[in-house]
This record gives sequence, structure tokens and C-alpha cells, in this order.
Amino acid sequence: MLNRNPVNLSHPLWLCGFRPFFLAAAVAAAGLMALWGGFLGHGLPLPAVPGGPFVWHAHELIFGFALAAVAGFALTAIPEFTDTAPVPAQPVRLLFMLWLAGRAGFWLSGAGSGEVGGVGGLGAAALAVAALAHLGLVGGLVALLAPRLVKDPERKHLSFLWALLALAVPIAGFYADALTGAPPARWLHATIGLLMILIVLALSRISMRIVNSALEERGESPDYRARPPKRNLAIVCIALYTVAEFLSPGERIGGWLALAAAAALCHLQSDWHVGRALFRRWPLMLFGVYLLMAAGYGLIGFALVSGSDGLSAGRHLLTVGAIGLSIYMVLNIAGRMHCGQPPDERRWVPAGAALLAGAALVRAATALPGAPVALLLATSSLLWLSVFAAWLWHMAPLLAGPRRDGGTGCEGIIETAT
Amino acid sequence: MTLLRAWLTGIPAYLWSGWGAIASLFLLLAAWEGASAVHGALILPDPGTVFATLAGLVDSGAAWPELAVTARRAATGLALAIAAGSTLGMLAGISMTASMMSRPLVTVLLGTPPIAWLVLAMLWFGASDGTPVFTVFIACFPVIFVGALQGTRTLDGHLREVATVYRLPLRMKLFDLYLPHVVSYLFPAWITALGTSWKVVVMAELLSSADGVGAALAVSRSHLDTAATLAWIAAVVLTLLTVEYLLLEPVKRELEGWRRQETEGGAA
Repeated sequence: MLNRNPVNLSHPLWLCGFRPFFLAAAVAAAGLMALWGGFLGHGLPLPAVPGGPFVWHAHELIFGFALAAVAGFALTAIPEFTDTAPVPAQPVRLLFMLWLAGRAGFWLSGAGSGEVGGVGGLGAAALAVAALAHLGLVGGLVALLAPRLVKDPERKHLSFLWALLALAVPIAGFYADALTGAPPARWLHATIGLLMILIVLALSRISMRIVNSALEERGESPDYRARPPKRNLAIVCIALYTVAEFLSPGERIGGWLALAAAAALCHLQSDWHVGRALFRRWPLMLFGVYLLMAAGYGLIGFALVSGSDGLSAGRHLLTVGAIGLSIYMVLNIAGRMHCGQPPDERRWVPAGAALLAGAALVRAATALPGAPVALLLATSSLLWLSVFAAWLWHMAPLLAGPRRDGGTGCEGIIETAT
Repeated sequence: MTLLRAWLTGIPAYLWSGWGAIASLFLLLAAWEGASAVHGALILPDPGTVFATLAGLVDSGAAWPELAVTARRAATGLALAIAAGSTLGMLAGISMTASMMSRPLVTVLLGTPPIAWLVLAMLWFGASDGTPVFTVFIACFPVIFVGALQGTRTLDGHLREVATVYRLPLRMKLFDLYLPHVVSYLFPAWITALGTSWKVVVMAELLSSADGVGAALAVSRSHLDTAATLAWIAAVVLTLLTVEYLLLEPVKRELEGWRRQETEGGAA
């Protein structure tokens, strides 16, 4: 019977893999940004970690917030894509514990050392725990999902496996650098590139359903196809830029590659020019992810080639914009569908997407000459925080509560005979 | 009218599809930047320097007159080749004997390297405009001739018979039957010839003229100015890319669309 204790496996929280992870992602998004805003605006202290507050900010939002969302998405979507049985609750709970251990380990990694940002005895142990926890989380995802992806007769979704495996590389690199006292931030930047590729892969699957159902609603033929060649060009360009940025950061060669990635992403958008159906809320939000991604790489490329300021602004169009908006979309679409609910047609959903896009643009605007940076940063974090807080307000009861349609796990909306 | 509207509404989609080409070009620039970092600015200046040099040439007013001279020569040679090649090619295509006879001649023309023609032209025309114009003409002529020949030879015999049986007026036969088909072969040939003309004219100028882009290239080479050399090359390539992708490629797509419809219709 359903249990009230959230640790117990019979609690509805464990009905499906996405539930704990999506909730954790949203809590992390709102909470981390509140702490970050407090630090930027009022100098409130942050946990001392190797590399300092900026590494804490990037690490937590990438390996905390984004990785939780990736885990939730992979645990739910891949069994669905490959038409295999849902992932059982027990390993999901184990993975979630690893995610929590990763947070605790990293937050304590500055403990026991005299200077802020240094690595001491206790801190090193905590850092090692965090490393193992993060690698364990990714390794566990691979172990659970790889057989399904490999056994799929057409192996259509194998690229997810490569992307998940690739995620382990920057995690290992980050912690190796942090443990040896080297500046670890370059690994976080590389992870952003990987996440962009993962988003392009995931959105191509989601968009087929979303755009075609929008076309059908308008009575047009659902002939939207996310074709591989354009997608692969974009992925190649993003990967090349990510490697160039890693090997020689701040060089012009990376700038040209970033511009190539921006152009390839614009090229990818031409699949989406399906007429008025694009302006329905769901397709438009997905399209916004590509727009922000293209804008982010465009700005990075421009900054690197012209030698002007704007690298950080462009990077935040990718993170706040593309990562934030795509995760928000997935949280809304998959989060409801696998709770047996139709998509939420209320206004708060698109309003949240617009605010997220706004948060990204406001954050990017700090690169403009003479911009009131402190005000813009505060506005941007407040916008982000409010979007995920609102999501929690609307969605937490659904994800932490039992299914109301008689469903017992991950299954989508149950068709009732009418 | 609906055709025109369909064509006009297709323009944004066509322009947008250019992003793929732009992405590839940026990848090329990245490779260029990397090669420049490896070999040093003396061998290969980086793209930024080259574009700055090009912008300097444009700003100082040095670029346009040279480009104009080169464009005039290329256009003259190309126009002559189009006129002669299209007419003679179509005439040769009408007669089986003539087309049989002309094929080896075309092979000879195609096989002779343009640089050989250039030497002859320098002997015949000296340092005048005649040298680059003649070289362009002789390099482009066989390409267009073959296009016209094939266009005429591949005309559907059945359609021609139908037209004769129904006694279609000559004007209708010409504009509704012969021309659309022949043009669908001719036009790609013209575009190929345009690319050839633009390349050959620069080569001819380099060796024979005192003005034009080719001559400017010769000067920058003698100054060992790699940046200026690459800037002139960039100017030539960018001009060709602009003309080809903004002007000719859309027209070509229209025509090829017509040809596709024709073959699909034939298959059905």
C-alpha cells in the first residue's frame, strides 16, 4: 500500500524514475539560484569549494540541477523509446541517494582546510566521495539503460548511450583536477557543450511528437520530420567548438567554430518552418531552445573572433537559456504525461518559458557597455528562481502524489474507452 | 500570379537554407585559423588580418576599380561565349551529322589548357583587353556548346511529333516546347562557365595586364604581401559566391524543379 514515508519504496515518489529527479532538479534550480543571488547581492557565504564560488555555481547548476534532469529524463524516456519495461524503483532510489551524496560531498569539500578554496584532509575525502557519487550516478544510468539501447533492433537511440558515457569524462576530469589542486573550470565548460548535444538529441525526439500533434490540431498533415543530416552537422560543430574551447580557451579558432555551430543551429531550425503550427505554445517553446542556443554560440563566436567582451554572456544564453528552457519543457511535458495527465494548457507554463528566456537575455545583457550589471544579475536570478518555484508549486503535488488515473508506474495517459 | 507568389514565399526558406553553407564556410575559416597558427603569419595570415586588409582595400577605394575592370573582361568574354556557344551548340544539336562532327572538336577545345590559349592570346592581342577576353571566351565556349548540344539532342521526339501533327504555331513550339527544355540544360552550363570565366580572367590578367584583380595579385606577390594576396583572392571568391548563391542558384533550382517534374511525369 502507498506509504507516507518518502524514503519507503511504496511512496508514490518512486512510481517512476523521473519523479524524484525532476523534483530534485526544480528544488536545486530554485535553491541554488537563491543562494547565488544572496552571494552576489549581499555577500552571503557559499560553501567553500576548490576553485571558489564561480566553480560552485557552475558545478552545482550543471552536475546538480542539469544532471538530475538528465537522469530523470533518461530513466523515463529511454524505456519508452526502446519499448522496454520501466526501471524498477530500487535502483532509482539508489541513484537518487548518489545524487544527494554528490551534493553533500561537494558542498563539504572545502571543510578542514585553512584557506578558502584549498583542499584539506577532510575536504579531500569529501571531494572523493562527491567524485564517486557523480560517477556512480552516471555509471548506474549507463548500466540500467545500455542493455535497452543496445538490444533495440534498430538501435535508433544509441546516441543517448554515447552522450551518457561521454558525461563521465568531464566529471572524472573535474574531480581529478580538483583533487590535484588544478583549476577545474574547463571541465564544466566542456560539460556545457555535451549538454547542448544531449539537448539537440533529446529535442529531435520530443519535437517529432510535439510539432506533429500541433500540425494535427490545426488539421494539417503531420509531416514534420527531424532529419538527421542537419542535426548531425550541428552536433559536429558543437563538438568541435567544445574541444577547441577545452584545448585552447579564448582563441579565435574557437570563435569560428562557435559561429559555425550557431549557423548550423539556424540551419536546423529550417525543419521547423511549418507555418502557423509553429506558434502553438509547445512547438514555440522548443523552437525557443534552438534560438537561444544559436544566439549563445553566435555571441560566443562573435566575442572570440572580435576579441570583445561577451563570452560569459553567450555561455549564459546556453545555460540559462537553452539548458534552462529545455529542462523546463521536459519537466512540464514528460512530468505530466508520465503521471497520466494531459499537457498543462494553463497560462503559467508559457509564462514561465517566457520568463526563462527573459532571464537568459537579461543575463546576456550584462555584456552591453555601461549596463547596470548588479541589477541585471539580480533580475536574472529572480526570474529563474520564480519560474522553478512556480513549477514546484504547480507540479510537486502531482509528482509526489499517487496517480489519479489508476496507473501504477510510468505509463502515459491511459486511453479510456469512450 | 500564383506561380510568382509561390516563388516569392519560397525566398525566405531559400535564404534560410543558406545557413548550412555558412556553417561549412565557418568551419573552413576555423581550419584556416588553425593552419595560420601552425605556419605563422608570413606563410598564411589569419582570416581576421586578411579581412581587415580587404576592408582596407575597399575603404581606400582601391578594390572597386580593379574588380570592375576584371568583371568587365570576364563578362565580355562570357557573353561572347554564351552567344556563340548557345547558338552553335543548338544548331549542331539539330543535325545528327553536325553533332557527330563537332564532338571531337569540342574535345580538342576542352583538352587544350587555358594557359596555352593565354600564351597564344598574348601573341595575338598583346597587352590589350583582347587577351583576357579571348582567353575567357575560349575557355567557356566548349562548356556552353556541349550544354546546348545535349539540350537539343535530348528533346523528346514524341512531343515534337505531336507538335507537328497538331500543327502548333512555330512561336508556341519554340517557347513552350523547345526553349524550356533546352534552357534547363543551357543554364547549368552557363553557371559552370561563369565560374570558369571568373577564374580564367584573373589568371589571364596576372600574366598579361597592368590592371584588374589579376594584376593587383601580381603586385602583391612581388611585394611578398601574403595578406593582400589573400585579400584579393577573398574578394574574387566572395564576389563569385554572392553572384552564384543570390542570383543564379535560385534560378537554377526553379529550372531543375521543372526538369524533375518532367522526369517524374515521364515515369508516371
